[in-house]
Amino acid sequence: MSATLLWWGLAVLTVAGAAVVLLTREMMRMILGLGAFLLGIAGLYAWLGFGLLAVAELFVYVGGVLVLFLLAITAMGRDADARAIVRRFDLGAALISIGLAVVLVVALRGLLPAAVPVSGVTVESTADYLLGVWLPQFEIAGVVLLAGLAAALAIVQGGDDE
Amino acid sequence: MSPLLWGGLFGLLSGTAIALAALFGVWWERKVSGRMQMRFGPQQAGPAGLLQTLADTIKLVLKEDVTPAAADARIFRMAPLLVFAPVALSLLVVPLVTGWAPLDSGVGVLLFLAVPSVSVLGVLLGGWSSANTYGTLGGLRGAAQMVSYEIPRTLSVLALVVVAGTMRPSALMGAWRLWWLPLFAVAFVVYLISSIAELNRGPFDLPEADSELVAGYFVDYTGIRWAIFMMAEYGGMLACSLFGAAMFLGGTNGLPGLLGALVLLVKAVAIVTVIIWVKWSFPRFRQDQLMRLAWKVLTPIALVQLLVAGAVAVVWLR
Repeated sequence: MSATLLWWGLAVLTVAGAAVVLLTREMMRMILGLGAFLLGIAGLYAWLGFGLLAVAELFVYVGGVLVLFLLAITAMGRDADARAIVRRFDLGAALISIGLAVVLVVALRGLLPAAVPVSGVTVESTADYLLGVWLPQFEIAGVVLLAGLAAALAIVQGGDDE
Repeated sequence: MSPLLWGGLFGLLSGTAIALAALFGVWWERKVSGRMQMRFGPQQAGPAGLLQTLADTIKLVLKEDVTPAAADARIFRMAPLLVFAPVALSLLVVPLVTGWAPLDSGVGVLLFLAVPSVSVLGVLLGGWSSANTYGTLGGLRGAAQMVSYEIPRTLSVLALVVVAGTMRPSALMGAWRLWWLPLFAVAFVVYLISSIAELNRGPFDLPEADSELVAGYFVDYTGIRWAIFMMAEYGGMLACSLFGAAMFLGGTNGLPGLLGALVLLVKAVAIVTVIIWVKWSFPRFRQDQLMRLAWKVLTPIALVQLLVAGAVAVVWLR
């Protein structure tokens, strides 16, 4: 019972964090939302029994990526932060996102395994998963991230040089 | 016991342990620094001044909790807890008794090294939210310092993991042998220096440098919220000393029950005393010196130590 409650608590934290990132207009609160989201994901990994992934999430994303974001925003100063407000919340985009989420959940529901803790997961078995069974997915995720990074650079540079 | 109840109970115990560590730590620091300066330290309140910190705590609790008008109030109030909570979590994985830790996870060592990175968020947010230049500068300095020193600290502990072949804290403590002392002496020094820097204590206390930034990232904090920052510092000192004693110095030395715990505690207090001694002996580093030490001295040394540990593990142990 309490394990289920814990699961729901972590799930709500994750979704709420993601919602804050999307809905808030202040940079610092966005970062806090992202932090809640990442902590929630780490908690869900731990709940499922994948301790190594949970700690790696904490180490790399909360301690590394999030801190770098925060460092950049803090270095901008509070006045700059006040101006750095994202564009207004787009109702149409939100409706499309929610619709997409519903379609995905309905379509994939039968394919996804039930969320139950996996017993006997060790550091070795996690390494075997990541570098064995799940290696293609792991590598594809890396390529997608790299493409995202290249896209972000292109956007920041403003397209073709005139 | 259900996970939620267990978690709540441990949170309570961990918080109490940190509060007691702060009470004792502040008193011990005053005594040690007093002796170093040919003074007695506190001696009026209670035997040997033992109740002085308690009296200070009562004063802090009664003080007004001020939030500056320009501050981002919610983040300002939350930041001390973001610094405190990871310290409480890090105590979870320290093996206090032979073969047992409150959370004896297979990735416990990594968890201990990872949680201080969450404290960085509290330091940065505390400084930024107070809308104070000193605070913001202190937060930036603290974040840069803590992120940099995480690397040599992690590498120094990794050398032990390579030889022991486990990241389970109790198993690592159990695997300790006397010959580890000379083999990992350098790693221990790197761990100690990096830990002092991660704790933002002198001579690495640039984030709060009183002569430059008044008190840095907690310049605008008063009363109990200021005390939470202090408790986190002394709790962190206890955690890193207990962990250092358990991993590098043999911990309980295989002694059972309370006797082993006592041996571990004595070693941890010895490390705490060294940390205090260092703070009151050396002048504060400059920011560039601090960064140079992390990246150009400690990290290469820790990497060499890791290579040596790897060679020992491959050639000798397997």
